[in-house]
Amino acid sequence: MLWCSVRIYLVLLRAGFRRQAVYRLALMSGLVTNAFFGVIRTSVFSALYRNRPEVAGLARADILTYIWLLEGMFGVIWATWIWEFAESVRSGDFAVELLRPGDPYLRLAAFDLGRSLNVLLTRLAPVLVVAAALLPLRLPTSPGGIAALAASLVMASVIAFQLRLLFGMAAFWTPDYKAGHSLIVPVLYLASGFVIPTDYFPAALRVVVEASPLFALMMAPVRVAVGQSVTTALASQMLWLAVLGAGSRALLALASRRLVVHGG
Amino acid sequence: MEAEPSRAAATAGARVGRAVAAGAHARVRTGATVRAYGALTMASLRSSVQRPATLVVRGIGSALVALCEAVGVVLLVDRFGSIAGWRTPEIIVLAGLVFTGQGLAQAVGNRLRPDDVSLMIRKGTFDQVLTRPISPLGFVITGYVEIRLLGRFVAGAGLLAWAGRAAGIAWTPAHLAVAALAIACCAVVVFAVLVLGAALTFSTLQGSEAINVVLDGGAYLTGYPMELYGSVLRALFTWVFPFALAVYVPALTLLGRTGPRGLGASLLWVAPLGSAWLAAVAWLAWRRAIRHYVGAGS
Repeated sequence: MLWCSVRIYLVLLRAGFRRQAVYRLALMSGLVTNAFFGVIRTSVFSALYRNRPEVAGLARADILTYIWLLEGMFGVIWATWIWEFAESVRSGDFAVELLRPGDPYLRLAAFDLGRSLNVLLTRLAPVLVVAAALLPLRLPTSPGGIAALAASLVMASVIAFQLRLLFGMAAFWTPDYKAGHSLIVPVLYLASGFVIPTDYFPAALRVVVEASPLFALMMAPVRVAVGQSVTTALASQMLWLAVLGAGSRALLALASRRLVVHGG
Repeated sequence: MEAEPSRAAATAGARVGRAVAAGAHARVRTGATVRAYGALTMASLRSSVQRPATLVVRGIGSALVALCEAVGVVLLVDRFGSIAGWRTPEIIVLAGLVFTGQGLAQAVGNRLRPDDVSLMIRKGTFDQVLTRPISPLGFVITGYVEIRLLGRFVAGAGLLAWAGRAAGIAWTPAHLAVAALAIACCAVVVFAVLVLGAALTFSTLQGSEAINVVLDGGAYLTGYPMELYGSVLRALFTWVFPFALAVYVPALTLLGRTGPRGLGASLLWVAPLGSAWLAAVAWLAWRRAIRHYVGAGS
């Protein structure tokens, strides 16, 4: 019985994985974009680190790892499919989801995780492997370290899904569901460490940002990769995964009751 | 919501079509064409002010993207003191010029992004554009002006004013002219890349994001001094996609810096030529794409 219900989600996960495999051209141009921005960032940081072994606790190898991990993660955290859920709410297609067996939240999560895993394998893995071959990155080499990094990346992907879902759920209340997102995302982008690592932030700001769920998106996987306070980073990710999971699942249940489907 | 500007533009387009068709003489036609573009621009502007609250929120959002990026750069450069001898306000002058030019170009050319052009071709909307008696490029530009993207322009201008003062720019009329030249050249370069990308999408059909490497990557790269990059990147973004000529070279003049060998402040007069070169290439590519346009079938 339990296996039966687990199987539903596994099937959805596989479907999500295959769904993402369709976009080959997007994958190619995504890789080109990641490589290009990685090279630019590497140039900028190499100039900054000339004659300086370490700044704010980050050595050159740490920052190179940050840059290329960021390029690899970009397609997962800022996924192109962010509005698919909101669009399905607006068009009313989401009503069908509510009729299907199982938990709607877990079904969405499983499908999304499948897509994210595909992006991790096709975008993050090649970017990281090539960068590590050409540049002195600091990546784990022990099986335990690699497993920890993989777990951290998967948790970051799920937390990104939870945030996407929270943004998308605005569609239950307003047709202009992108407005709030357009105001918040630039700040999230900066605060989660996608412009510069949060290590360079002023001390007070850094404390606030690293105590928020945004830490789990980008900086926690970087900590795990370079081997800085790995346990704390993983624990923080687990905590936010649980909190955001409970929150977004409850909100989805609440919002589903408001779903208005126009006839047609 | 997204469909609204296009509907407004289509209605205006029909009106315009009649207006243009009415003018038989060449002189009358020029007047009619100008009026046509005017009507289209007004229609797209009116459609975007239909929901003022949305427009304001989106405008602020567009400005915030630029500002957050700038805050990151300020925090970064302050940590290190300087990049390749450039202090924080000097770097922000570069970023300010880029954002301002980019904002201008995107407000008129955002619909030329590969995804939108791909959709326009696949839905057959572009077939209708071709039947109108005005230039297709003119129609796409004037029919879809997005003023919300001017938020980036405003943010860029604000950053430029602040950083210029902090960097000790005197802002004489000559300085203002150089800044205006940089912004205009940057806008032309960004717009030309948008047109180039659109022309490319006519042959790939799928929206290829590869052009975004040049579009967003070029702008990102120009936000830092060109000394940071290797000779290949520098040459590519100076002589092929002349972002450096448009922004970096005028910034050298504004800041009283000399720049590296081969890319000095003395190249200021080449900046408009560089932009004109890319604009010409983009125009040829666009014309070729239109001539070979066969639609996407259905």
